[in-house]
Amino acid sequence: MPESDVMPGNKAVAHGVRLARVEVIPVFPITPQTTIVEYLASFIADGELDAEYIQSEGEHSCMGMAVGASMAGARTFTATCSQGLAYMHEVVAQAVSYRTPIVMAVANRVLGWYWSIGPDYSDVMPEWNLGWIVNFVESNQEALDMILQLYKVAEDRRVTLPAMMNLDGFYLSYSQERVEIPDQEAVDDWLPPYEAAHPVDPTVSDSWPSNLIPPVLHTTYRRIYEEVLQDSRKVIEEAGRSFQEAFGRSYGGLVEEYRCEDAEALMVTMGSMTTAARRAVDRLRSDGEKIGLLKLRFMRPFPADELRSLAGGVDTIGVVDRVVLHGTGGGGVFADVKAALYNLDDRPPVMNFIAGMGGDDISIDDLYSMGKKIVKTSETGKIEMEVEFMEHKAPPTPEPVKIEWDSPLYPGSAGCAGCGSSIILRRMLKVLGPDTVIVIPPSCGTINYPSVSKVPMVLANYAAAAAFQTGFYRAYRKKGKADKIYLACYSGDGGTVDIGLQAISAAAERGESMIWVCYDNEAYMNTGVQRSSSTPMFASTTSTPIGEVWRGKPQRRKDMVLIMAAHRIPYIATASLAYLPDLERKIRKAAEITRAGKGLAYIHVQQPCATGWYFPPEKTVEVGRLAVQTGAWPLIEVEDGILKVNVKPRELKPVDEYLKLQRRFRHLSEKQLEILQREVSRDWQSWLELEKLGRLPWY
Amino acid sequence: MSEAESKEIKGMILYRAGRHGGRDVANWRLFRPEIDEDKCTKCGLCAQYCPEGAVTLDEDRNPGIDMRFCKGCGVCANECPPEAIGMVKEGR
Repeated sequence: MPESDVMPGNKAVAHGVRLARVEVIPVFPITPQTTIVEYLASFIADGELDAEYIQSEGEHSCMGMAVGASMAGARTFTATCSQGLAYMHEVVAQAVSYRTPIVMAVANRVLGWYWSIGPDYSDVMPEWNLGWIVNFVESNQEALDMILQLYKVAEDRRVTLPAMMNLDGFYLSYSQERVEIPDQEAVDDWLPPYEAAHPVDPTVSDSWPSNLIPPVLHTTYRRIYEEVLQDSRKVIEEAGRSFQEAFGRSYGGLVEEYRCEDAEALMVTMGSMTTAARRAVDRLRSDGEKIGLLKLRFMRPFPADELRSLAGGVDTIGVVDRVVLHGTGGGGVFADVKAALYNLDDRPPVMNFIAGMGGDDISIDDLYSMGKKIVKTSETGKIEMEVEFMEHKAPPTPEPVKIEWDSPLYPGSAGCAGCGSSIILRRMLKVLGPDTVIVIPPSCGTINYPSVSKVPMVLANYAAAAAFQTGFYRAYRKKGKADKIYLACYSGDGGTVDIGLQAISAAAERGESMIWVCYDNEAYMNTGVQRSSSTPMFASTTSTPIGEVWRGKPQRRKDMVLIMAAHRIPYIATASLAYLPDLERKIRKAAEITRAGKGLAYIHVQQPCATGWYFPPEKTVEVGRLAVQTGAWPLIEVEDGILKVNVKPRELKPVDEYLKLQRRFRHLSEKQLEILQREVSRDWQSWLELEKLGRLPWY
Repeated sequence: MSEAESKEIKGMILYRAGRHGGRDVANWRLFRPEIDEDKCTKCGLCAQYCPEGAVTLDEDRNPGIDMRFCKGCGVCANECPPEAIGMVKEGR
């Protein structure tokens, strides 16, 4: 018997992936997608799903991993949204010609531009013309069911194309609904294991997909691909019908009609707004208005035939769009609807409402008023306003509470109580003074501190923080300002050791004279504590959860001091928020070195995080101090290649004294503790030996 | 000034310097720090470590806490060498 449970949309997606027995899952955290891959991590950690789970260093790589795994013949899933989807873009395009039936969930979120974590379709819009099958769901149940159906469609030999399922961030991703979870046996019967026709696997296959054809054939192959995608309509409809036979639920084909019988006016919606639109149409119907609702379930292939057949019977169509095609004056779905109808002899006028951008709510009242306008147009036959932006007034924001003293970082931030990052940032800004520019990639700090900073803190795109900073530096240098402005990046560990590393490495090699401060809280805290390559071994995070099978992050962390030393930059240091004079001295040193134009100065500050390491907030500084006193976080600096260990306790405390304060290490076995102590002792000895060398040999 | 010379760029969102303050976060607090002036040695560590920057020192190095900005994390009390700061449950 299938079970039922109340769950958020992201969990429903994860259940779909589990039931599909997906074999490879590359992941990278981004709100509001992240909990999908967290639920999947828990399933794997507990032995409920047997899959390769790959914690990638960024979305570009994440989609690369998905393409590789799918080409090798594995059933593959990934999930992302917004900035992450945009960062994937190049590889999203590549997935098509390699004919990889990847299924990707997109928990829609606005693409910055103006940043928000709320949904609109500006993230998926640039992707939906690349050749993927693009589906939008309205409910959590539909999300689970469509993961299964999309594998059925994507892997069908008549299709063999990737498919993405869009579920609105927050409205579905985090909203609880009752969801029926099908039986594994029933799913196994309905969705057999994936067998690639031409896997890249010389042991079983003598042919594999290529993406190289001469220019003369490009037009031909574009035509062929378009035919494949158009022909997928019947496979989508078949899958929907056979799913209904097996599981008893149906959502229609490429569209779902609601109260369209005898309709004279038609409203077109997509995704979760449809539920509110149904209620608005009910009200309009009870007013006596003959209006129907068409939910577009698939944006690609576009349901042009369905629209054309309905268009003959109605006097006006109104499209509600959660995306703007800038420069056209209207929305994305609007453009496609108009294009689909233009060559009809008898076509109704089409009007457009842009609504719900950045997660702004589209209420039943809003949809009711849009419906009234559509009905009015169908009665008068005259469009008063072709495109209307459905705008809401912002509630007044309270004025900041003024302080009477001077501070480089004002109190009253949005940071967690006991946030260590603010201790580091305040100290850094105090040393650097008012003529400082901070570049900050996405991180907790981005959310909490720019609004209380006295100096500019510029949000940079995640992988490009060192590049933004380089642009600032070169412009200041050209304008003769490089010795008047301190330029520092303030980045978390993800933005430094993972997704940002390529740009930092390039800036270090070019000798850009700027300061990089990494505040290392040893995981992706802003998205809810997923492991980074700076997470220490055996720590539990939401992407390395403790379960029957998993016992914490298995790998050792990356060592950025050694990586930066390999770039021969003039200054490298580690620091701690518990040793503020040492931190202050190091920031000052970095400021002097960069002002003299000597190259990149890199400071890596450990930042104990009460929220993500799970200790009481009053222990923030104490935990940091113990990290230094146990040797788990040695304070080091490398100036012109001369390495010094700055703080040498007479005797290192046992590492357990540091670990036992943190719940992320609560599961440690004696054996694991022994390994961690051995690693710490060995690393400590290694630093002392490097110090004895005087100058590091490669300087 | 002509429109072309104006610094008003339509639609550009600006962050303006000089706000000098943040939000009132007093209602985050579950425990309230209270300084015992007799025990205080004026070392200033509470002001250095306060994550929020809510602790300031007067000219005699006496610490004062601006309770509009104290989130009640307790770092000051935990770090105070003479244990001169107690954390008292709010509402008592």
